Amino acid sequence: MKYLKELSEIYGASGNETEVRKFIKAKVLESKKIDYIKEDHLGNLMCLKKGKNQNKTLLLMAHMDEVGLMVSDIDEDGRLCVQAVGGVDKRVLLGKRVAVGKENIEGVIPFKAIHLQNSEATAVPSWDNIRVDIGSADRKESETKVQIGDYCHFKTVFEEYENRVIGKAFDDRAGCSVMLDILEAMDDLPYYNLVFAFVVQEENGLRGSGAVLKHFNADAALVLEGTTAGDNPELKRERWSTHLDNGPAISYLQSGYVIDRRLFTAIIDTAERLELPHQLKGRTVGSTDTTRTAKSFYGIPGAVINVPSRYIHSPVCVMSKEDYKNTVKLVKDIVMNEIFLKSLEV
Amino acid sequence: MKELIKRLVEVSAPSGNENKVQKVILEELDGHIDGYRFDAIGNLIVWKNGTSENPKKYLLDGHADEIGLVITNIDDKGFLRVDPVGGVNPLMLLGTIIQFVSRTTGETVRGICSFESETFADAANNQKNPTFDNLFVDIGATSRADALKDVRVGQFGTYEALYIEQNGKIISKAMDDRIACAIVIQVLKEIDTCENTVYGVFAVQEEVGIVGASVAGYDIMPDMAIAIDVTAHSDTPKGFKRMDLCLGKGPAIKIKDKASISDRCVVDHLTKTAVENDIPHQFEVLIFGGTNAHGYQMTRSGIPSGTLSVVTRYVHSPHEMIDYNDVLNSVKLLKKAVEN
Repeated sequence: MKYLKELSEIYGASGNETEVRKFIKAKVLESKKIDYIKEDHLGNLMCLKKGKNQNKTLLLMAHMDEVGLMVSDIDEDGRLCVQAVGGVDKRVLLGKRVAVGKENIEGVIPFKAIHLQNSEATAVPSWDNIRVDIGSADRKESETKVQIGDYCHFKTVFEEYENRVIGKAFDDRAGCSVMLDILEAMDDLPYYNLVFAFVVQEENGLRGSGAVLKHFNADAALVLEGTTAGDNPELKRERWSTHLDNGPAISYLQSGYVIDRRLFTAIIDTAERLELPHQLKGRTVGSTDTTRTAKSFYGIPGAVINVPSRYIHSPVCVMSKEDYKNTVKLVKDIVMNEIFLKSLEV
Repeated sequence: MKELIKRLVEVSAPSGNENKVQKVILEELDGHIDGYRFDAIGNLIVWKNGTSENPKKYLLDGHADEIGLVITNIDDKGFLRVDPVGGVNPLMLLGTIIQFVSRTTGETVRGICSFESETFADAANNQKNPTFDNLFVDIGATSRADALKDVRVGQFGTYEALYIEQNGKIISKAMDDRIACAIVIQVLKEIDTCENTVYGVFAVQEEVGIVGASVAGYDIMPDMAIAIDVTAHSDTPKGFKRMDLCLGKGPAIKIKDKASISDRCVVDHLTKTAVENDIPHQFEVLIFGGTNAHGYQMTRSGIPSGTLSVVTRYVHSPHEMIDYNDVLNSVKLLKKAVEN
């Protein structure tokens, strides 16, 4: 997880992935292990690594974008009105620091002090009332620093302790990081051609990934995601999505697409052969880019492997290092062997 | 045709697991088609070549999948938690039987749906507002280990229900959309020679989000695509009063639903064919729902698409009811339509 800290700390909400792409591209070039790089008009970054066997192509995919906020208006008092970019839980916003605009200036999301609150303490804030305070005296001053349409990103310093990492945007910088780790450590050729696709705008509606199929004739997609854990003690165990430290989570159904059974089975078989801890995702809500690639052009089957992460779509996510490492091991084995794409021949 | 319908609805094939029913479809079509293929995501595409020099291409679509449930958790006592596959109303599940295929024996394992109820208040609330959080499926297992002999997390199941013929109606699970599969099969069986090439698409994963259609349309590029699907009804006590859809009044030519507006050429072509051949028909404006026609409209540069509906009572319940004459008239109408 050499790059997870940097990847997590880069600002890149949906539609604003440039800095993430620049970072990843630099690392890909440094690795000197790629045969061909393609960047498309949408901002997707696709890197081809030719395999031992070039008659098939596997598409590994992670999205570069994260959820965030966008400035939609400026009040007379200089504070900024914002709307969500992707699915943001309003409850986690109050009192948080954000980086605002192209210069990443300091912003704070204000709230009424506890001393002054009555019933508001338990109420879910409304977008009508959420503001970002950048410290300016009035609208005029704010206008010199930001403009309508500027992004606000969560500001979180990446931390490690024991078996945990804490940071923002593990959905889906964890996936990007897994892909970079696999690429860097690749001493041998992958079994089939391998495309590492880092795509844009997943969080606002799976918008980037479909275009990847315009550039590569892939046979299947394997999406790597940082997914929700939802293993809070107050929630029913039976309805947890995943549990930290139980290993990579494998999906079988998601919103809008049933994971290809052959690929799903190939992943399980691989995990069992390697005797790697793994778990099946316990919830089927939420979607990933496989929904899009299944429906685009001639359509390709897809599967998803997730690194469980607590509190995703918030400024503070928590992940297990062991889960992350086991995900890398699992995905690495899949790309180095034939079982995944071979399963489709039946 | 009743035997064909019975054979198709009795297969358990939820979204993503259509293979079993597609095999039956291929058996039924044996000797009646010029070719078939499975595409990358699992759509079954069959065709009958046209006789003219440059034949036009008609695409008839009946989706192969049905709604179902998927196991998301198995607790220590062997009870299953489930999530919906497609539009399953938890209210509909209370007291129904769900069938799975045993992992070890390959035989059918049945589970009963029920709801948590620790107190009277709980029971009242959970029955009034059932959700997948308070619902469980009981296969009679005594422990987690016992349950794991038959099922595992990630395994799919469907309703199990009686097949009933009564008063000119047929009642079964999975009429949505096996009735369309039956209609497309019957049309292909009855066409002797035809100027136009007719494609049958038995598409995957309609119920979870219209997955298969756009891909099949991209591949085939037909001149016209007609999705055949079930639709709602308004002819029961206090039935929906903003719509007019009745069993027995003939196939319903869809004008609009929430996902698509039928191409005017398709509507006119079907209407003209029905009128000229004296085939009973009705028109449909559905204020919700969607069909694979949406997928065909959204692919390539847009394929002229529409839907022919079979009015169905109790859609997405274990007991979907259709009128047999509507089915026969749908076959008649589509056969004439593709021959023209």
